[in-house]
Amino acid sequence: MAKILLIDDDSEFLDMINLVIRRGGHETVLSADGPDGLAKALADPPDLAVIDVMMPDMTGYEVVRKLRANPATASLPIIILTARGQPVDRQAALEAGADDYMSKPVTMAELYERVKVLLAKGTSAGGSLLKGSLVMLSLRGGVGVTTLAVNLAATLAQAGDKAACLVDLCSSSGHAALQLGLRPDPNWSGLVGVGGFDVTAIDAHLLQHSSGLHLLASPIFPFVGRQGISRPMAQTMLNILQQEFSVVVVDAPSVLDEATAAAVEVASVVGLVVTAEAPSIQAAVGTLRALKRWLPKFHVILNQVSPGPQPPVKAIEQTLRRPVVGVIPFDSAQVQALAQGSPLALSDPESVMAQAVRGLAGKLAQGVAAGQ
Amino acid sequence: MQDSGLWVVADFFAHDYRISGRVHVRYSKLPAQLNDTNTSFLQLEDAYVSNILRPGDIVASYTTAILDKRHITAIVVARQEDGLLKEYTYGSYLGTYLHRVFVTVPSFEIRGHLRLSSRMDLRTVLTTGTDNFVVILDGEMKAAVRPDVTFSGGAILLNKEYIGAFCVEKGEE
Repeated sequence: MAKILLIDDDSEFLDMINLVIRRGGHETVLSADGPDGLAKALADPPDLAVIDVMMPDMTGYEVVRKLRANPATASLPIIILTARGQPVDRQAALEAGADDYMSKPVTMAELYERVKVLLAKGTSAGGSLLKGSLVMLSLRGGVGVTTLAVNLAATLAQAGDKAACLVDLCSSSGHAALQLGLRPDPNWSGLVGVGGFDVTAIDAHLLQHSSGLHLLASPIFPFVGRQGISRPMAQTMLNILQQEFSVVVVDAPSVLDEATAAAVEVASVVGLVVTAEAPSIQAAVGTLRALKRWLPKFHVILNQVSPGPQPPVKAIEQTLRRPVVGVIPFDSAQVQALAQGSPLALSDPESVMAQAVRGLAGKLAQGVAAGQ
Repeated sequence: MQDSGLWVVADFFAHDYRISGRVHVRYSKLPAQLNDTNTSFLQLEDAYVSNILRPGDIVASYTTAILDKRHITAIVVARQEDGLLKEYTYGSYLGTYLHRVFVTVPSFEIRGHLRLSSRMDLRTVLTTGTDNFVVILDGEMKAAVRPDVTFSGGAILLNKEYIGAFCVEKGEE
């Protein structure tokens, strides 16, 4: 039996859905407006929430953003309901952090089916199953993989001590340390060639950010003519880190080298980062084909790296034949964040990007839980 | 509260804003209210306002809103029958001829079908007078400067005063 929070100002609709969900053997918590629903969700996190968009005082989008911003409800499965049924509304719901979107009028049977599907792949109350490893990947460079990996890891690190570790696997001067304002010394190059290293050896090569995030940085100088991280080394390294940290976020390079392949193999979830440009989509199609063995782990993330008009998410989904689980809107503040070595997830948690990353963290955490 | 027979939910477009809301239609259908010359205004309940540049973002919401019908460029409704007068809905003998059309209004281009009870006569279609809004069926409305922003519906009602070009494909369906 799951606890389901229903937020809608339409009392008749609320009564109907309440009846259907209770008949399914679940417990319901009802709320007629956004602020009240939000308070109820934070006071006692449910297993799933169904939220209407068009409500007085606070829109459903705002409720979702606030739920995603709170660690207790960051990974709460959420279905957005709205009378606004246009493609832009679906995109807005995804950007806000919803897992699913339905436009009214909906049949109770259809809504209940979606509830069941989300519950099946959802996490337990409170979204506490942030465990495993997430690999952020794109074989097309310049799509913002490092930025997303850094912000995701910084977000996940807020959950507590040893909550998250970021691993920069790039062997040609990775930038994760730079984005965190850290000097990449020590870095994983000290582990290369060391046979049989253990947790103590890895700990000695970790950097710690003031936010609590740990980082296994990449060397500042490229590995020219030398062997970088081998497949066994990557596997050992990641397995040890997974024992030590709740979640390991891997910033994978834009080449399918041995280390990247090992990381994908070990990972619970792979975030395949794409932008709307054709080369990025082409690289994503190629990646999905090359790594089809691991296809169930892949979750497509659309990173909007430029301002202005964006093609519809649906077009990208049709091309990749996979849903886009998260859309990260363009945020001009990111330029300054990069320059200052301070990720937006930490320096400006209310920024558009930080909010979107929090939503993404919740969704990927569900993927981690489902993959375990 | 939302008996589907009493209310029609629609997207209204006016001066680069999208206003979503519901109109009470117990006594009169939406097209009839739009063409009612006794009042220049249309009352919306639960109105949600978005800028057309970010049409998914809600910038304001109000329990009640009044729209000046003269300034409404277009209206998108999900169900075809909500955009038609009762006598033109399915099952009626009117509307034999279906024409594929392309229409421009400020900020938008619209593709869809025009249903007529007789052979195409654009002068009749576009003449303002009794009916100020023309109904495009199964229409898609695309923002002129942002082609990625589209709105589609069973019916799109266009204010004749704002129609720039009204193009008809040769032949009929």
